[in-house]
This record gives sequence, structure tokens and C-alpha cells, in this order.
Amino acid sequence: MNIKQNPWLLFTSLLAVSVVVAWVLLGLGEHWINPFSPSSDMESRILWELRSPRLLTAFAVGGMLALAGAWFQVLLGNPLAEPYVLGVAGSAAVGAVSSMALMPDSTWAVSLGAFIGAWVGIAVVLSFSHLGSARLLLAGVVLAAFWAAILMLLIALLPERGVVRAYAWMMGDLSNSVLPVWSLILAWITALGCGLVLSLSLDKLLLGEKHAASLGVDVTRLRKFLLLLASAVTAIAVTAAGTIGFVGLVVPHLMRLLFGSLHQRVLIASAFGGGVLLMLADTAARTVISPAELPVGVLTAVIGVPVFLWLLLRRGT
Amino acid sequence: MIHIDNLSLQRGDKQLIASLSLHAKFGGVVVVLGPNGAGKSTLLLTLAGLHHDYTGKVLVQGKALADFSQQSLVEHIAWQGELPPTEFGLTVEQRLNLAAHGVTARLEHALTYLELELLKHRALGELSSGEQQRVEIAAVMVRDCPVWLMDEPAAHLDMRHQVDCLKLMKQQTKNGRIIITVLHDLQHAAAVADMVILLDGNGGAEVGLAEEMLVAEKLEPVFKIKLKGKGRNLMPQYAVELSE
Repeated sequence: MNIKQNPWLLFTSLLAVSVVVAWVLLGLGEHWINPFSPSSDMESRILWELRSPRLLTAFAVGGMLALAGAWFQVLLGNPLAEPYVLGVAGSAAVGAVSSMALMPDSTWAVSLGAFIGAWVGIAVVLSFSHLGSARLLLAGVVLAAFWAAILMLLIALLPERGVVRAYAWMMGDLSNSVLPVWSLILAWITALGCGLVLSLSLDKLLLGEKHAASLGVDVTRLRKFLLLLASAVTAIAVTAAGTIGFVGLVVPHLMRLLFGSLHQRVLIASAFGGGVLLMLADTAARTVISPAELPVGVLTAVIGVPVFLWLLLRRGT
Repeated sequence: MIHIDNLSLQRGDKQLIASLSLHAKFGGVVVVLGPNGAGKSTLLLTLAGLHHDYTGKVLVQGKALADFSQQSLVEHIAWQGELPPTEFGLTVEQRLNLAAHGVTARLEHALTYLELELLKHRALGELSSGEQQRVEIAAVMVRDCPVWLMDEPAAHLDMRHQVDCLKLMKQQTKNGRIIITVLHDLQHAAAVADMVILLDGNGGAEVGLAEEMLVAEKLEPVFKIKLKGKGRNLMPQYAVELSE
């Protein structure tokens, strides 16, 4: 049976791959621990209380970013769109950094600030939802620039220690997620479920709004819902892990190159592909120069760019 | 049956058509003629339920257009217009399946008629404009709608496929469909038209039988050119030689 034709086969295969990858990565760290037989209580606690929640967080966040990227690309009819294109990450960063300024010693306040900031950004974007794709994108880019300016101002006002923390947050940080792992996994499942329900309408939207409408899609409603869904998923991902670039841009394209353009496959593959990519990147981020950590956003780019360009070139000939 | 009564059409601030009335029965081709910007495409979009800025009455199968949901219009009206974007790599077969709504019986016939079998696994973006246009015509064929709205179906096509496309329209009206189509070539129009809607670009719209409308006296003032010939051979005088 062809894996491209059967969504269940695709789903189970990718789930199996993700589990295997996660199991291997679980062992990696400052010290190798065999996940099948931790040699002490201490090792077992490192595995199950430190490493596995962080891996699952990375998986859920990566998957959600990739899903949001795929949705924004079809919503805006633009292959360059990504989850942060409409300024949601910018407003979240403003929220997070404001919290750092006001309550420098609190971790949960940063997440709360990011979450509130993200939703302020979403509310602003939603008020432009009736605009066509090109103008919505333009509004988003301008808003992103606005949030970036506010962010620069805030950072200039922070003390030195705060500046380091702000930059670390902006390059992505999975070590301090205050959102419980189960809630992130639940969000991942809900997001993928919503996406799959919409997948046929999303395919039609690839033909442009007029063709989609002539094929029976209520385009106005679909666009509003999609904007809300993609923004909400982005807000959750940003709250959990700061801004992690690249996953949302590259993974959907990678999956289209591998599995074709129909959304049922693209969304299933992106949810797993984004998750696996971020698990790999985050494991590399915490092991390459351990005990210190690299920003995970740097690693996603370093892993993602060459793979993507290689596939693009291979397809281009 | 399509019944249009006193239709007035706007786009933004611009009045495109002041008053249009038409009664089209099944089994005929209605050709829409007019200069650029006269509202030909907007008229088709309106009938497809995709443009809502109009007043007047439009009845499809005896029911007001405004009372159809987008979902229920799918069974009645097929629209062919601009070429869809190609950025996301849909293949010919995937694009046609989206139009066919899971009914694959007509798909093979459409692929054969438009000579697309060899291209069916190619991405739309890899095709020439003419090939993409044939895919769009096939996308109308795979839908079993009583009304076809075709916006310049012969655009980009080579001569043989132009003839095939006109033949298809004629043949489909034999099966009882109404085809309303925008055309720019007078000879194409003369070959297929049963009725003609002539838009003058200033809000005026005249409707009549093809043989009454496709004559120099009607068309010359609207298009502001000289025509020569008669009937199926009516064509513009291509006087492009420089005068000095």
C-alpha cells in the first residue's frame, strides 16, 4: 500500500519514526543514559523528570509551529509565510520582555506576558482579517516592524542581565516551559485534528479564492477561522518556548517536496516533521557545548537550511 | 434556465452595467462581447455567485441567486476563469480531482478530450499557459453542472485546441447545457453563439440573437474599429501599416 495514499499508514509510520527518534535522543545528554536500563535512581529521574518532558515539549512546539506555518502559507497564498509573519511573535516578545522588566525573577510571568502579548497581536491582526491576502500580509509585516521597534525600546531600557535573558528568549528556549507537557500534547492533537477536518477546503484554497468559492468553500469563514486557528497555535508555541525561527517556514515545504501538496498528507507530515526537527535541534542545543546550552533557534536553522536547499536543488533538475 | 431581470452591476465606485435583462434556456451558447473593462468577467463572476455588488434579479432554475448557499451552487454552476496559482505544486490530476468532488467517471473522458493524459502527474507550474488553460477547461468538464460560465476559454490555446474548445461548447449545448462565455475573437463568437450580450463599456448592454448582433453596424461603434466581411467571416481590418 502506498504511504502517500493512505493517511492512517502515514500517521502510524511517522508516529513510529518519532517514537524511535525520541527514544534515542532521550539517552543523549551530558552523560549517555540507556533508556532501557538506567543504572541508578538519579539517572532514572534525569530521564523521566528532566529529559522526557523537555523532549515532548520540543516535539509539540515544533509540530505546532510547522502546522501554523502550513496554514499561514495557504491563507496568505504565499510560500514565504511563516507563523511569525503577521507579528504575533513580535507582540508576544514585547509581552515577555515587559514581564522580564517588571518581574525579573519570575519564570511564569514571562510566559504569561508572552501569552497576553501574543493575543494582543492576534486581536490586532483579526481586525484586518477581511482584507485580501496581499494586503493582510502587508498589514502583518508592518505590524511586525512596529512590535520590533517597541521591543528594541524595551530592551534598551533593561539592565544588562535582562538583555541577555531577553535575547535568549527571542532565540527560543525550551528549558523553562511553564506549560505542562500534557497540555502541549493535547494542543498538538487538537491542532492536527482541526487541520485535517479542514484539509479538503485548504486544498481548494490553493487554487485561489475565486476557484475555492466556485467549488463550494465559504472562503470568508474559512479565512477567519484559519487566521484564528493558526494564530492561537502560534501563541501557544511561543508561550512555551519563545520564538524559534525556521521550523514553521521550512518544514511544510519539506513535507510538500516529500509527500505532495494535498493538505491531509502535508499536515500529518508537518506535525510530526516539525516535532522531530525540533527534538533533534534541542538535543543538539543542550549537548554540543554541554554543560552550556546553545540557543535552539540557531540549531533549527543550521539543521534545516542545508536539508531544505538540498531537496530544493534535487527537485529543480 | 437562467433569468436575468434588470441587472445593474457595480465594481467599487464604477457602474459597469446599468441594466441587463436576459432569458437563457437550456441548450444554447450565450457569448458576451465588449471592450476591456466593460464588465464581462464581472458579469460571469456575478452569475457564479462570486461577486455580490449588484441589484436586480437573477434566477437560476427559478430560484434567486442570492438564496443559494455557496455549497448548493456547486451543483448548478461551473465557472472557469483566471489560471490558478501554481506556487504550491498541485499536479494536474490533483487539481481536477478537487473539481470532480470524488466523481472520477468523467475525469478520464476530460483528460482524453483535452489531451492531458501524459501530463496528469505533472505539477501545474511545469505546464505552459496553453496546457494550464486546457486543465481549466477539463476542470469544468468534470463537473456535471447544467450551467457553464467560461471566461475566455480559448485564451492561450493553439489553433487546433481552439477548435476543440469551440466544438466542445457546441456539443455540450446539444446535451442541454447553458454556456455563457466571454470571447474576444469575432470568428469564434460567430461559430458558437446562439445569443450575444454586447456590453458597450459605458453601462449599456444589448442582448439579441447572434445573427442580429454579430454585424458591423452593431459592433463598430462599440469597439471603435472598422470591420470587414460578413457572417462567420466578419473580422477587424488590421490596418497597421504606418501612414507615412
